Amino acid sequence: MRPIETRYARSGDVRIAYQVIGQGSFDLVFVPGFISNLDLQWEDEGYSRLLKRLSTFSRLILFDKRGTGLSDRVDSRHLPSLETRMDDVRAVMDAAGSGRAALLGASEGAPMAMLFAATYPERTRALVLYGGYAHFHKWVMPPERLEAFIETVETSWGTGATLPNFAPGRVDDLYFAQWWGRFERLSASPTAAASLARMNAGIDVRGILSTIAAPTLLIHRRNDTRVDPEASRFLARKIHDARLVEIPGRDHPIWTGDVDRVADLIEEFLTGQPAVADTERVLAALLVTRIYDTAKLGDRMWSERSQRFQETWRLLVGRHGGRVAGTQGELMMSRFDGPARAIRCAAALRDAAQQIGVASAQGVHVGEIEMRGAPAGLTARVAMQLATNAGRGDILASRLVAELAIGSGLHFADAGRISLDELGEPLPVVQATSEQHLEPACRPKPKAMEPAALTARESEVVSLIADGMSNAAIAAELKLSEHTVKRHVANILLKLDLPSRAAAAAFSARHAGPDGP
Amino acid sequence: MLTKTQTVDGAAIKKAIEGRDGKMLSSFYSDDAVVRVIDRNNPPSKPREIRGRAAISTFWDDICSRAMIHKVDTTIAEGDSLAFTQACAYPDGTKVFCAAMLELKNGRIARQTVVQAWDE
Repeated sequence: MRPIETRYARSGDVRIAYQVIGQGSFDLVFVPGFISNLDLQWEDEGYSRLLKRLSTFSRLILFDKRGTGLSDRVDSRHLPSLETRMDDVRAVMDAAGSGRAALLGASEGAPMAMLFAATYPERTRALVLYGGYAHFHKWVMPPERLEAFIETVETSWGTGATLPNFAPGRVDDLYFAQWWGRFERLSASPTAAASLARMNAGIDVRGILSTIAAPTLLIHRRNDTRVDPEASRFLARKIHDARLVEIPGRDHPIWTGDVDRVADLIEEFLTGQPAVADTERVLAALLVTRIYDTAKLGDRMWSERSQRFQETWRLLVGRHGGRVAGTQGELMMSRFDGPARAIRCAAALRDAAQQIGVASAQGVHVGEIEMRGAPAGLTARVAMQLATNAGRGDILASRLVAELAIGSGLHFADAGRISLDELGEPLPVVQATSEQHLEPACRPKPKAMEPAALTARESEVVSLIADGMSNAAIAAELKLSEHTVKRHVANILLKLDLPSRAAAAAFSARHAGPDGP
Repeated sequence: MLTKTQTVDGAAIKKAIEGRDGKMLSSFYSDDAVVRVIDRNNPPSKPREIRGRAAISTFWDDICSRAMIHKVDTTIAEGDSLAFTQACAYPDGTKVFCAAMLELKNGRIARQTVVQAWDE
């Protein structure tokens, strides 16, 4: 498939970026919430899954509201009214050749979609409102909480600081938290975001609800953290013939949580036919990785190293053709098409863990898993228990893994049987051993690092690190930006092949001469 | 003009499709007609099936609501079978090409299979 093309519709003097995907016989316009970015959303697994699902039964039209994402910037201090933004929907539909469409309004997109349905009934085929509301202060946040939210936006926009306001369930997912920071930065400027938040606070479309004639489906997560479910119950009472479905979950964005459940409901409502389930179960190899013996590391060091290891884990799983399938507490689960890839990835992770200064313990099992959502069935539970039983640096796999990996060149040693809670009989297990080579294993002798490898500036920085100074303090001392100091520190660690600032400080102490290292 | 007695033939279909006349198109089908659509998302082993005139009316209303240019190029008729190809274009340049096979029964369309490919 070719990359999705981004086009621009003209709405007055402003260009609105939009994308069209899918071949369905009817059009579905997705009206996004607070902020969006057409390019970035495809990078998130949940977001792209939702959009792909919707585009299997419709011609899906996506756009970024003016002032956000890829659309024209507008005067951030004088953002347009809800009516003007609603008219952007019409402009995009005109450009895409859509005479009549179903509208999916999510969160702040819901009042926009309702206003469209009331203004252009002949162009509204149906309405789906997810996590929507008719009055901001009543169902999203009262004025005093709004000020605190805007304060967060003003001071920390772009860092991902608003994530707890939208998806508290994803705060511990470092990868997603970083993505959210990018999502903020690439979707709106800080001033635009604050203005947008203020403007959304003025939303009140209660007066038009009775004029909506389009068939309407309302979806709301029961414990939605951002918008009170009472908001949709109110809409259900006021919009003629609207149907409300409350689903479990607390994360607010439509693309988080169980997106398949949301897509199923939308598909059934718009097509009149229940969604055909995916091929339900597939054979997969699951690798569960954990950091062994966490108690020996102090909390701070554990947190630093665990974060580094998790980043490395994502990278290595991808490199070995696997997919990150989520984390559960300290357990990291990934999914592979074949057992040999899982074992090779496990071996790479074991080495990476050593370099980071932690030890891994891993379990691999192969079996059928549900295609949808994170693996949660028996295969997943067995893999998790294997990881829990694995010793320091071990890769413990069910014997089935070894049998399927015959011919791969991997070596396994019998490791007896393990009784697992759910299996009637003890499970035969094997240990993956290092690959055997004919030549003696010898590691290249580490190159002795000399202080001379550092530039004069880097030597200055490393001396100040040894004095216990923070990056900010070093930046002030050397009259550099903190970012530049960070780059210097990263280069120093790379050049000297050292794992941490503490190691750099120790290095500095060892090599201190009259002029420093 | 929409009449119950409009003969279903290549010329009538061409006129209705190119004129984006959903009502006329729907009137060509028998009450229990089936339209099968085969495309990227609806493979041959699991084609999309639209059953009955009401559903087919909605289908054509949706298609005809789009500001597209349709051109019916080739029509072939033989007994109760009819075939045509259709080239379509959206205002933004996206092109769609369809080939359709129709079976007529008592002068109405009883069964239609559409195979389509889209610019993507």
